Amino acid sequence: MTGNTIIELIDVEKHFRSFVALSNFSLDLKEGEFFSLVGPSGCGKTTALRIIAGFQEPTSGVIRIGGQDMRAIPANRRPTNMVFQSYAIFPHLNVADNVGFGLAKSGLSRAERKQRIGEALEMVALDGLQRRNAHELSGGQRQRVALARALVMRPKVLLLDEPLSALDKNMRESMQFELRRLQQSIGITFVMVTHDQYEAMTMSDRIGVMFDGRLEQVDAPSALYAFPANPKVASFIGGMNFLPATLLNERNATLSIEIAGLGSLDIGMNPGVTRHERDLLVGLRPEQLYIGRDAPTDYDVTAQGTVTDIAFYGESVRYHVQINGVPEPVSVSVPNYFHTVDFKRGDAVWIAAQGASVIDLGTRSDNEPTKQERKV
Amino acid sequence: MTRLARFAPGLRAYAVIYLLFLYLPVLLIPLFSFSEGTVVAFPISGFTFKWYGQLATQDTLLQSLVNSAIVGAGTAVLSTSLGLFAARAYIRHDFPGRRASEGLVMLPLVTPVIIVASAMLALFLLIGLRPSLLTVILGHTFLTVPFAVSILKSAFEEFDPSLEEAAYDLGESVWGTFRRVTLPIVAPGIVSSLLVTFTVSFDEFVLAFFLSGDQPTLPVYIWSQIRFPAKLPNTLALGSLLLGFSVLLLIAAEFFRRKSRNAIAKVKG
Ligand SMILES: Nc1ncnc2c1ncn2[C@@H]1O[C@H](COP(=O)(O)OP(=O)(O)O)[C@@H](O)[C@H]1O
Ligand SMILES: [Mg+2]
Repeated sequence: MTGNTIIELIDVEKHFRSFVALSNFSLDLKEGEFFSLVGPSGCGKTTALRIIAGFQEPTSGVIRIGGQDMRAIPANRRPTNMVFQSYAIFPHLNVADNVGFGLAKSGLSRAERKQRIGEALEMVALDGLQRRNAHELSGGQRQRVALARALVMRPKVLLLDEPLSALDKNMRESMQFELRRLQQSIGITFVMVTHDQYEAMTMSDRIGVMFDGRLEQVDAPSALYAFPANPKVASFIGGMNFLPATLLNERNATLSIEIAGLGSLDIGMNPGVTRHERDLLVGLRPEQLYIGRDAPTDYDVTAQGTVTDIAFYGESVRYHVQINGVPEPVSVSVPNYFHTVDFKRGDAVWIAAQGASVIDLGTRSDNEPTKQERKV
Repeated sequence: MTRLARFAPGLRAYAVIYLLFLYLPVLLIPLFSFSEGTVVAFPISGFTFKWYGQLATQDTLLQSLVNSAIVGAGTAVLSTSLGLFAARAYIRHDFPGRRASEGLVMLPLVTPVIIVASAMLALFLLIGLRPSLLTVILGHTFLTVPFAVSILKSAFEEFDPSLEEAAYDLGESVWGTFRRVTLPIVAPGIVSSLLVTFTVSFDEFVLAFFLSGDQPTLPVYIWSQIRFPAKLPNTLALGSLLLGFSVLLLIAAEFFRRKSRNAIAKVKG
């Protein structure tokens, strides 16, 4: 599905006066991939997108699209098109004129333009609304017009800035599938910016996780989930329990460790992190933990604890369990099917984990997670 | 406002009296313009349109009306064009000295006009520009740019900057973006600015008096007539027409300003 490099960013820096919005930003995007930039608000995602589009010049660094240096090429001559966060539908034009806006200079005849507009509207399931005025459209329709208006230009890369954030929840979920399907059917590169990690996970081939103007990790969703490069990434993508551990032994790709309060076990080595001390930090996903009234037999480590908090999510239930010797309550998530065990606050429970689901996050002092990042 | 009025009913009376004080003298002008007598005094003696009728026969008056229209139109176009670029720059860009420049542009609103007028006359004579309608236009442009800038600034404040970026992103040139997106969207603001600056110029006296030379504008003409008691009723009739005309223009301007705001708000919301 993915092939040659289409966009290269090499050591891009962007400063606004003394403020560093992007730092040491290098990224390769492949032809035909759905790539998402995800990170908390204000981390520089939009800035990165605008630099690719040509609305902003990098302070330093190189941008190439299709092998061509873009630094001297303004936004109106780049092979990219953008879907803006506000959609930026021209209020004085109807749907057809909005979608056909960029074709004015294409040299196409009236009939050809009409044809292209119709095709683009068909792609986004809006054919027939050509004559509608901008202010007669719903939020979802406006978004589709913005998409059609960009796609009609047949860009090499489509840039989308938080395309779904203005939609309500149901519409957002159906648009996630639809955008993904659209990208696969036309086969061009999509670069989407979002602050919603679940949106990024469900839609993307690869994700770049950003914090404070830096790209912390670029990987496929499943790899990000299994091997986060550091606690920041680990807590941003899905929930995570952070636990202190001691390194006992290290051989080949296996670490023998002792997790305080849980016991000792063997875990896989995370190639993305470093270990230069015996004090390690490990991560455990809430849904990877066993919880039950009885001690299980086939787990690597088991411990007894007390339920301190319960949160009902509908499709799952999350328990906070205090275990002797573990600094903070451990979060455990259980799918909510029919006969699920129903624990109450104060219940004594058994917790268990497998070595295969424990994530090595490297030397503890290198990346003490902040209080907020500990939250799961 | 409503809450304030509920707690302090005296304020409402104060507001009414204040408005009466402000506008009653102005309303007397049209009232007396229909009076048959030539002195401004109660009781009003008889009702007539003759003073209005006579206006149409006075050539110097008609010439001054044409002069005012030329000056008003020239001023409106010049100050609105200048205001358009200034307003866009102020809203869209942050550049060194932006705040200072914004303040400077508004200065004509508070500088004593008579000082400006004499300084301008001296300047124009110095550079060899004889008083004429052109010098009045230049003077009025100086005076009306603040109006144009503030009206157009509010038009640009309502205007999502990504609309211009979207046009540019779709391959339009900078000029094409301005023509196909910026201009149509701020058009109601432009019309509003044209109307307001025209009205301000049309009614302006001091600068016109200093700078018009032997081509009087309407207010300068009225001033020259006011010295002749026999001409007073004519002047009142003329003044009433002027008043009505200005009010109509300003209402139209406000209509366009609101229309621009609503059109944009609809697409946003
Ligand atoms: N034109 C600008 N001038 C100054 N600071 C800016 C500008 N654009 C963005 N920033 C700053 O850069 C940081 C990153 O912004 P942005 O890329 O919009 O973040 P995100 O899209 O991830 O929320 C923010 O702190 C923002 O305030
Ligand atoms: Mg953003």
